[in-house]
Amino acid sequence: MTETAIDVNNISFSYGKLKVIDDMSVAISPGTSYGLLGPNGAGKTTLIRLMVGLLKPSSGSIRCLGKAASRELAHQIGYMPQLPALYNELSVRQNIDFFARIYGMKHKKERSQRVDEVIRLVDLWQKRNAHVNQLSGGMKQRVSLACAIVHRPPLIFLDEPTVGLDPELRVHFWNYFEELIKSGSTLIISSHTFDDAAHCNKLAFMRLGKIVAEGSPRELKQATGKLDATLENAFLYFIRREDKADGK
Amino acid sequence: MASNAIHIAGRVANQIIHDRRTMALILIVPLVVMTLIGLSFPDESVLDYIAPAMLATLALFFSFLLTGISFLRERSQGTMERLMVAPVTRLDIVLGYLLGFFIFALIQTLIIVLFTIYALGINFYGELWQILLFQVVVITGAVTLGIFTSTFAHNEFQMVQFIPLIIVPQIFLCGVIWPVEQMPEYLQWLSVILPLTYAVEGLRDIMLYGFSLADVWVELAVLLGFAILTSILASLTLRKRV
Ligand SMILES: Nc1ncnc2c1ncn2[C@@H]1O[C@H](COP(=O)(O)OP(=O)(O)OP(=O)(O)O)[C@@H](O)[C@H]1O
Ligand SMILES: [Mg+2]
Repeated sequence: MTETAIDVNNISFSYGKLKVIDDMSVAISPGTSYGLLGPNGAGKTTLIRLMVGLLKPSSGSIRCLGKAASRELAHQIGYMPQLPALYNELSVRQNIDFFARIYGMKHKKERSQRVDEVIRLVDLWQKRNAHVNQLSGGMKQRVSLACAIVHRPPLIFLDEPTVGLDPELRVHFWNYFEELIKSGSTLIISSHTFDDAAHCNKLAFMRLGKIVAEGSPRELKQATGKLDATLENAFLYFIRREDKADGK
Repeated sequence: MASNAIHIAGRVANQIIHDRRTMALILIVPLVVMTLIGLSFPDESVLDYIAPAMLATLALFFSFLLTGISFLRERSQGTMERLMVAPVTRLDIVLGYLLGFFIFALIQTLIIVLFTIYALGINFYGELWQILLFQVVVITGAVTLGIFTSTFAHNEFQMVQFIPLIIVPQIFLCGVIWPVEQMPEYLQWLSVILPLTYAVEGLRDIMLYGFSLADVWVELAVLLGFAILTSILASLTLRKRV
């Protein structure tokens, strides 16, 4: 395995004239969780779409597991888009099974076992034959996660995976994420809740296409100089500092 | 490699089968249309003349519309984004859609042919397998045209708006109802560049006169050329990632 799971070097990206990612560099260690935290429009989704190869940076380079985007690399990536991207006319099982096939799980029995396994994991066994358009928002979110991880990818990108989940399930999800990390997977998770952020090994506070601070939740809290600082305090602290440096 | 195309085809077929109304649209509506034509033209020879043309027209219409809408959904619901990240090539996607729609469009053709022969009493000479093979080429062009066109639609309603733009003119200009030779000359020139003209001509030759595929090679070649062109255009629009 390479030393870094993801290497983002000085990338920039614009939608038309709007600069969405501004000369950003990120290095993510394998077997860790990396949280992208920031307000709406900060560029979290755009950064993830750049990392999975859906978008091309206008400058800079991105390497995942030491490789540039390729078919071989695609097998090692799991991607959960921000909106639950599913086939509404198909059942929970059919959706997950389709992605298992697409990712080359040819052996029928093995695939079927794995599909059942992830269905239980996201706690949808009762609903496995229900059509996706008959599910609640949170349930769709869970199917979407299942589709992203069914092929056991070492590199997993989750764009706001916990949005719309009830507290119990949120805990359930995080327990599972921690298991994935223990088994050696690398997770990149975007969120705008500080609750999610506290679970990550490392965090990037993002704003307006820039990373304003990076570190473990503990480091970020300590940087504020206050003993009882929360992550929320830390986030505001770094934004203030950035604004001041810009002379605002 | 190609196995991914088969998985996509299976999924497309699955989606259509689960959608009862669409199934009815594909399988029953053509029979209603053919019956209406049969009843409204009491002269048998007119029906003989129009039936082959309707075969091509209906295949074009349904394959174009259903692919366009399925593809549009694939884009708008975000599953295309998932496919783009997955180890799937553009060719897999286009081939998958083609294979998926062949099944339904060919069943449709079969049903129409049998219905017009046995229920409406049409006199056909051509061989069934040649009719189906000819239709494969027609459907290929229609499916890839649907994929390409869906890039320019932002919702399902906009996709439907392409019907009067792309399908209806062809019905009037391509000899479906009246012979191309009876139209004003400038319209005849227009019909030369429209693919349905060749589909209608070819199927009529096979079904009315008992021509073989070899006899209609010119029409086949033009339709194949059109299918290749639209396939390339469809693949190019897929490159424009989501
Ligand atoms: N397809 C697009 N075309 C044009 N601009 C876009 C597009 N997608 C995003 N943007 C713009 O890029 C910026 C960053 O968007 P992005 O979706 O990356 O934010 P985000 O951090 O994921 O926000 P959220 O928390 O709402 O998901 C926003 O200003 C947005 O308006
Ligand atoms: Mg986002």
